Amino acid sequence: MDVDEGSGLRDSTEAHRIPRRSRWHEAIHQFKQQTLPACKPVLTPKWVITTFLLMGVIFIPVGLITLRASRSVVEIVDRYDSECIPEEYKSNKMAYIKDSSIPKNCSRFLKVYRRMKAPIYIYYQLDNYYQNHRRYVKSKSEQQLLHGLKFNATSTCKPQESNNGRPVVPCGLIAWSLFNDTYAFIRGRSELKVNRNNIAWKSDRDHKFGKHVYPFNFQNGTLIGGGNLDLSIPLSDQEDLIVWMRTAALPSFRKLYGRIEEDLDADDVVVVKLMNNYNTYSFGGKKKLVLSTSSWLGGKNDFLGVAYLFVGSSCIFISIVFLLLHMKSQRSP
Amino acid sequence: MVGWDRIRPSRPTRLGRGSDSNPRHERIPSSRTVRLGRVQPQAPGHRTIYCNDRDANLPVRFKGNSISTTKYNFFTFLPKGLFEQFRRVANLYFLTISILSTTPISPVSPITNVLPLSLVLLVSLIKEAFEDWKRFQNDMAINNNPVEVLQDQRWESIPWKKLQVGDIVRIKQDGFFPADLLFLASTNPDGVCYIETANLDGETNLKIRKASEKTWDYLTPEKASEFKGEVQCEQPNNSLYTFTGNLIIQKQTVPLTPNQILLRGCSLRNTEYVVGAVIFTGQETKVMMNTMNVPSKRSTLERKLDKLILTLFATLFAMCLIGAIGSGVFIDRKYYYLGLQEDVENQFDPNKPFVVTILTMFTLITLYSTIIPISLYVSIEMIKFIQCAQFINKDLHMYHIETNTPALARTSNLNEELGQVEYIFSDKTGTLTRNLMEFFKCSIGGEVYGTGVTEIERGIAERDGIKLMESKKSANTVQERGFNFDDARLMRGAWRNEPNSDICKEFFRCLAICHTVLPEGVESPEKITYQAASPDEAALVTAAKNFGFFFYRRTPTMIFVRESHVDKMGKIEDVSYEILNVLEFNSTRKRQSVVCRYPDGRLVLYCKGADTVIYERLAVGNDDIKKVSREHLEQFGASGLRTLCLAYRDLSPDIYESWNEKFIQAKSSLRDREKKLDEVAELIEQDLILIGCTAIEDKLQEGVPTCIETLARAGIKIWVLTGDKMETAINIAYACNLINNEMKQFIISSETDAIREVESRGDQVEIARFIKEEVKKELKRCLEEAQTYLHTVSGPKLALVIDGKCLMYALDPSLRVMLLNLSLNCCSVVCCRVSPLQKAQVTSLVKKGARKITLSIGDGANDVSMIQAAHVGIGISGQEGMQAVMASDFAIAQFRFLTDLLLVHGRWSYLRLCKVITYFFYKNLTFTLTQFWFTFQTGFSGQRFYDDWFQSLYNVIFTALPVIMVGLFDKDVSASLSKKYPEIYREGIRNVFFKWRVVAVWAFFSVYQSLIFYYFVTTSSSGAHNSSGKVFGLWDVSTMAFTCVVVTVNLRLLLMCNSITRWHYISVGGSILAWFCFIFLYSGIMTTYDRQENVYFVIYVLMSTFYFYVTIILVPVVALLCDFIYQGVQRWFFPYDYQIVQEIHRHEPEGRTRTELLEIGNELTPHEARSYAIAQLPRELSKHTGFAFDSPGYESFFASQLGVYAPQKAWDVARRASMKSRPKIGQKK
Repeated sequence: MDVDEGSGLRDSTEAHRIPRRSRWHEAIHQFKQQTLPACKPVLTPKWVITTFLLMGVIFIPVGLITLRASRSVVEIVDRYDSECIPEEYKSNKMAYIKDSSIPKNCSRFLKVYRRMKAPIYIYYQLDNYYQNHRRYVKSKSEQQLLHGLKFNATSTCKPQESNNGRPVVPCGLIAWSLFNDTYAFIRGRSELKVNRNNIAWKSDRDHKFGKHVYPFNFQNGTLIGGGNLDLSIPLSDQEDLIVWMRTAALPSFRKLYGRIEEDLDADDVVVVKLMNNYNTYSFGGKKKLVLSTSSWLGGKNDFLGVAYLFVGSSCIFISIVFLLLHMKSQRSP
Repeated sequence: MVGWDRIRPSRPTRLGRGSDSNPRHERIPSSRTVRLGRVQPQAPGHRTIYCNDRDANLPVRFKGNSISTTKYNFFTFLPKGLFEQFRRVANLYFLTISILSTTPISPVSPITNVLPLSLVLLVSLIKEAFEDWKRFQNDMAINNNPVEVLQDQRWESIPWKKLQVGDIVRIKQDGFFPADLLFLASTNPDGVCYIETANLDGETNLKIRKASEKTWDYLTPEKASEFKGEVQCEQPNNSLYTFTGNLIIQKQTVPLTPNQILLRGCSLRNTEYVVGAVIFTGQETKVMMNTMNVPSKRSTLERKLDKLILTLFATLFAMCLIGAIGSGVFIDRKYYYLGLQEDVENQFDPNKPFVVTILTMFTLITLYSTIIPISLYVSIEMIKFIQCAQFINKDLHMYHIETNTPALARTSNLNEELGQVEYIFSDKTGTLTRNLMEFFKCSIGGEVYGTGVTEIERGIAERDGIKLMESKKSANTVQERGFNFDDARLMRGAWRNEPNSDICKEFFRCLAICHTVLPEGVESPEKITYQAASPDEAALVTAAKNFGFFFYRRTPTMIFVRESHVDKMGKIEDVSYEILNVLEFNSTRKRQSVVCRYPDGRLVLYCKGADTVIYERLAVGNDDIKKVSREHLEQFGASGLRTLCLAYRDLSPDIYESWNEKFIQAKSSLRDREKKLDEVAELIEQDLILIGCTAIEDKLQEGVPTCIETLARAGIKIWVLTGDKMETAINIAYACNLINNEMKQFIISSETDAIREVESRGDQVEIARFIKEEVKKELKRCLEEAQTYLHTVSGPKLALVIDGKCLMYALDPSLRVMLLNLSLNCCSVVCCRVSPLQKAQVTSLVKKGARKITLSIGDGANDVSMIQAAHVGIGISGQEGMQAVMASDFAIAQFRFLTDLLLVHGRWSYLRLCKVITYFFYKNLTFTLTQFWFTFQTGFSGQRFYDDWFQSLYNVIFTALPVIMVGLFDKDVSASLSKKYPEIYREGIRNVFFKWRVVAVWAFFSVYQSLIFYYFVTTSSSGAHNSSGKVFGLWDVSTMAFTCVVVTVNLRLLLMCNSITRWHYISVGGSILAWFCFIFLYSGIMTTYDRQENVYFVIYVLMSTFYFYVTIILVPVVALLCDFIYQGVQRWFFPYDYQIVQEIHRHEPEGRTRTELLEIGNELTPHEARSYAIAQLPRELSKHTGFAFDSPGYESFFASQLGVYAPQKAWDVARRASMKSRPKIGQKK
């Protein structure tokens, strides 16, 4: 019923085009006739066995190397939150931590069981601390951190947006709950120097925290969540804050505190003078101090190496099982 | 509605010749009354048109002639298009989620959900707009065609759209009619013109239209401008072959018939030009009224997909509930760092744990919304569209070169249904057989003539172990299309020496006179061609020609026959017979008669028709011939021949005259004309004398037996539903391997003595009761027997043969279950003598009753209802009328192409779609579950694990393309192997690839993989991961996890592919690369607006560590390890059928035949292909609709010359039947 005037024209042009069998037309033709060249992977036993064998052969060495790297790391972990409470407050930890008049200093003795080569990284580890809670994660203002008071649309920071009618810099729950335990290390009689610079990722320091943004009206409320900041240092240099504000993925996390840039020998005893300021008692969190060396892969984490080894060896195992089955029941092709 | 008050109800009047003397204005009797200008609904009204008088027509406001097939216009596109889109539940769901995500309870920014939704909507809308634009352009092209219209005594050219009702137009040769026209005058003598209706019904033979004598003169513009007529006709309707109306001209009423109507869409042929008056315009033309919306079918797979989506919703709900309860329990003031001390918003208020739970529920719903694959429907739509447009329509294996017909997918949502068909319902004539009729045998006066052996007889003989000698064709055998007859006793005048030469003469004359064939071309026996409505008719006339009765010319009242050897051997004389009446064929009458007057004044009625109707009307006596002829009929039927009985009756002038008066009355009545004509015809078609019967061979189509055998091996059960006689049907079934002698046949027939006896008594109620009882008894017996066979181990295969009358009772609700049980146990079922409605009933019996996937295939209008009733309807194209094709979902040129369509395209489609769906399910579930595991470690707060953009682009960019490649290119075994091993098709019938078990396996791996992603990445990331001791934060870990997910999910796709083309590599590699490109850019920029710059520099930080590389190798490998083992074990120990085939032919390259064919196809340009096809084309296309003898698209205009209406078309009846049955089907849904 339609008067299709276009079709005749189109046909004639096509007629001119088709005889020149270009590669493109060949491909189009193969496409339409569904005969595109294709490889057909068929998971025959031979393939399965070979693949598994190959995977085993690759994975086991990788696993060994990774595990070795992890094992080369010396790590000392010390949980101090329960130990650093005077006996009389053991039953009422909250009273202890909330009372600012009680001195919070505490000493811990760490024995180095293996030689630790510098740099030795100092971490604090918090457990059962939900830095990844939705209310917590979003409670900051990227723009304010970068531009300071110039930026005042900080509604995301609630409930730590302002104090006494004035905005808080840095605002938000994350900054408000800044970790404020401090550590000092003494070996023998000399204090170990702790380098607290360059503990945050460079990208954070340079691009996320303003060089000319100074803390303002911080921790001035009725409730003090955590550490305070030096009002004279710009945010980009407050590396504690920067580290703290890169929120952790899991409720149990470590954060870098500083570096000891001297080697520690085996059987050295390090005395840690710490200020047990931070409140984890109210929600039953744990605080740990971690001293760790580092390998090319990072800190001590056997998981990857073990996983590699496990996968590699199970591949070998499966390939052997399959091989035996294959030998037993040769399928007629 | 001002025009309505012109119409006055008037009493019924007689029209016709008598009305000429009647000076009064006759009006069409109207059953409706007009009150207060309101049209009563349902009442068929009529319209009055003042020809050549635009002003007079003005008050009525007829519609213009511009047509619009578009769905939208510029303004309605957005609202209407969006509305259409949001009718999909998935889109609506995402709209809700998007709205939710703008509220503060949402953990994600609105972009997460808005972006994918808008992309999906955009793609859909672009597609809609593109399709509509094409329709619009097409409409514009049509609307702006020029047409010559009469203005101020001159022909002015105006575009079609400016045409108005009542205008006088001139159409030149080969021009298309711009609207439905009243044919006034033509340059041809006798006011006839020839039209081609190919656009309407696909028939390419020329039809004749004849103007009313009163209007012949209005040919020149001067004369035509004087034409002032008033047309009263029916309201616009969609019946192409009926028209009722009157033309009132010079105070005379001229009845109008379809013969004076030139329908829009037809074109003028062999006529210099015609003049016509516009009656119906634009959307009101019959052809436009016919563009009915075929109710769209949804595939079974898609319906199952809905269930899967529902399950996903349930899973989503469960996940949210768990998270929400967790959040209510978790929230506590002791987590002082969360700032819960004073004026906390509701969602985190520790005092209201219940409110927290409820609100977190919504939070989590927005967070986990990715579990519903938003782009699934769009992807599936695209895949199916390409599958149809590029694969099915362009497949050279399904291209029929002789008729230049490629396969055509008319709907794109049933591709995968083709891969699951279990029952095929096939029409016989034109579908299994070629519909190429050849006069093969005949029986005259109780004597059989014709020495040929049919293919079927040969087949029967071979089965019985008899070797038939190939009878040598005698040298003088006439070889002609439509004539394959050899018997020395009849040829070349030898019949004169036969004992029954008189009856032979009647036989030949009947063949030469009683028909509606038109001769064309030079009037010599060699060169003449016959234009016939059905190939049977042409074959019969050709036969008469070869017997020496050469019909060479026809005028409205005369038939000229060149008769040889009548008086004396070798003498040739031209005899003219006056045709007094033609009693047309229709499907209820099943016969056709002609009353003719010999030159010597003898009045004879010749009649030919189906044996049953002729035998009912025979005069008493002559029982011998009747009995012998009946035996012959059965014998012919057994040989698979189509039979017709011929009879005649001498009429006395008195009887004829009195009858003719009644006939004229009937033909001029305006109401129920057809019914009255049938009744009148009944009066004279009595006391007939049997002459004999003819047998026409209908050859099997090429490749039908192999195709059926292949399909049977594929586990498909084939039912043949035919209007033919039982013997014919059974033998065709034998011939095409449906039934063989090893099978146990159950035959339920109404042709038993007991039934005949009851029938002869004539009490209708008694007959019905009796037959029902009989059928019940038979069914019960057969069922019991079938069940005993079923319990034996190696019982024979079963076949059921049932005829239409028994079927009618068997389809009764009380017996239906029994019929179904019996027939489902049978491998093949043959239903004969069934009506179109019954075909549909049988189809829906299996569809609804057995819940199996059905496919109907047919070529004619009588198959329309069946095609629409089945899950998949297939029309045979390129053969005859387009009705079956128009109603079908797929059109193919030959029955044998079913093999390709089902076993190759259908199977692949099914396989691909299953893979696409399960993969979508898997990738979204995996992704969402990682998020879910994270929720447990965030104090159930609903913190998002991934950045907003990761989540929003996951579905639409990072994992979108590869799955489409699978949907297009995945191929388990090659096309030739699919056909070589049809057994692998059974997997589709059993729905092996989309069972709940399959889904469960995928779900299991989703859970496994998501656990691996989450726990491997988080566990391994704890502690320092940089040689300078710095640690990762949340966003570093989540980016790591997301990278692993993207890599793994894309690689998983490669693992499930059966064939990997370079497009797979490109798309998989491209997707992974797209992710990295994105993250490099995205984490590299900082914007000024307050976006949470969480992922700033993350990827650079990550990639600066060894940890990243070690993990990115480990996690995908571990995640895929399980799948790999599963696949290996599955293939090894529980292989699918296709996997076995794969391995058998693993080392073979792709089938050569296909490439060779491709070469040929490549060398033939479409132009060459067409000309080749045209050269191969038989001169005349066969037109047939499947009844033993009926003529669809042809009105005997000579009959109408005498005032007789062309009868209703058989397929019009069929369509109506199908329309009636539709609500019924709808109810059952």
